Amino acid sequence: MPAPQKRPAYEPAARLLKPPRYDPGMARPTATVAGVVLILLRVLAGVIVLVSIAAGWDALLSDPDSVLEGFDPTPEGRQAALWLVIATGGTVLLIDLALAFFVFQGFNWARVFVMFISVLSISTSFTAWWAQGQEITIATTYVSLSIDILLLLALSSRSAAAYARRNERR
Amino acid sequence: MNRRRRGYSIGVAIDWFFFVFAGLAALWLAYLSLTETFHVGWWGIPFFLVFWVLLAYLVLPRLHRILTTIYVPDYFIGRTRTSDGLLGDPVNLAFHGTGEQIRTALEAAGWTKAEPVTLGSSWRIITSTLARRSYDEAPVSPLFLFGRQQDFAYQQEVDGNPAQRHHVRFWRCPDDWLLPGGRRVGWLAAGTFDTSVGLSLFTLQVTHRIDADTDVERDHIVKTVTDADPRVAVDVIADFATGYHARNGGGDSIRTDGDLPIVDVRAVEVPTQTAGEVTA
Repeated sequence: MPAPQKRPAYEPAARLLKPPRYDPGMARPTATVAGVVLILLRVLAGVIVLVSIAAGWDALLSDPDSVLEGFDPTPEGRQAALWLVIATGGTVLLIDLALAFFVFQGFNWARVFVMFISVLSISTSFTAWWAQGQEITIATTYVSLSIDILLLLALSSRSAAAYARRNERR
Repeated sequence: MNRRRRGYSIGVAIDWFFFVFAGLAALWLAYLSLTETFHVGWWGIPFFLVFWVLLAYLVLPRLHRILTTIYVPDYFIGRTRTSDGLLGDPVNLAFHGTGEQIRTALEAAGWTKAEPVTLGSSWRIITSTLARRSYDEAPVSPLFLFGRQQDFAYQQEVDGNPAQRHHVRFWRCPDDWLLPGGRRVGWLAAGTFDTSVGLSLFTLQVTHRIDADTDVERDHIVKTVTDADPRVAVDVIADFATGYHARNGGGDSIRTDGDLPIVDVRAVEVPTQTAGEVTA
C-alpha cells in the first residue's frame, strides 16, 4: 500500500480562486431560480411604470416645467414623444427579460452582466443616500433597491455560481 | 483549452467581488429596513419581520461565509462545518465497512434514514413541529466535512415529537486518508441529540438546539447498533478530540470526554434485496 499523501501545513490563498467542480448534470439551485424571479419582478415593475407614464402623459406635459425638446408642441408631436419613451423602455425591459431567460438556462455571462448592472445601480443609490442625503423609503426607491440587492445576493451565491460554471473544466 | 488548466480563474475572483459586495449591500438594506420600521407606525411590525429575515437568512450567513473562509481552516480538525462555514457538530464516531453495511446495521437498530432537504420536506418539518405531529423521516440540515455535505443521515424520533430526535450524519473518508495519529477508517460520523427548536446564536435562524453532552448521544448510537447485531465490533481511541468543550454552529455549548469509538460493521451481511443499490 503506498504511503498516503501528507496534509500540507498551510493553505495557499490561491485555493480560494479554484474554479467550482465540473458538474454538467447539476440540478438548478434555488438561488438561481430566486434570481430569475427577482429579474421578472423588476420587469413587471418596469411595465407598471411605463403604463403609468402613458396613462398620465397629458398631465405630465401640462406641468409648465416639462419641455419636450425636439418635438413639436402639437398633439401629434406629443404622441410621437410618448411612443419614443415607450419604445425605449420596452426595449430595455425586453433585454432584461432575455437576460432572465439566459440566467435561468445557466449562462455565466448573463449572470455576471446582471450582477454588474445591479452593482452599478446599488452604488448610485448608495452615493445619493450617503453623500446627498436622498431618502430611501417605502414610498420612494426602497422596493426597487431591495429587488436589486436581493438579486445580487441570489446570483452571487456559491450555488448559483457553481451552477453557472458547471460546464467549466478545471 | 490550455487556459482552463490553471489552478485559479479570473472569473472566480470576479465572483468573489460580487459575493462580498452583495454581503455589504445586504447589510445596508437591513439597516434601511430597520430605520424604516420606526417610520411606518403599525406597519413597522411586518417591516421588523422583513428585517429579521434579511438579517438571519441573507446578511449574517453571507458575512459568516466571508469571515470563516478567512479564519476557519479547511483541513480536518475534528469538527464539521455548517453551510455558512461555521463550526458544526463534533465528529465523534468512526466506522469501518461499506455504506450499505452501515445502513443495514442502523436500520436493524431502529434508525430511520433522513429525507433530503427539499421545499416539500422543509415545509413538512415546519408544520409537523408546530402541530407536534410525528415525522420520523424528517430531513437534517447539511453539515460539511472534507468539503462535502454528509453522504447520508439517520435519526430516531423521540415520543413522536419532531422537535426532539437522535440524529447522526455520515461522511465517507477520502481514499488513503488517515485520522490524526495515523489510524485508517472508512467513514466518520457526527451524532448529536436535538432537544428543542430555538434561535441560533450566530445567525439568529430558527434551528434545532442540541444537547450539550454529546457523549450520551455517541454512546446511544454505539449501544443501539451493537445491541442489534452481535457481529458489530467496537474499538475506542481514547482522548481523540482535544476540544473537550466548545460551541457548535448554532451557538450551543458542547462537551465531551474526547473518546472516538470506531464501529466495525464489516461482518454485517447486507440483505440481498438491497445489495443492488449503489454504495455511497
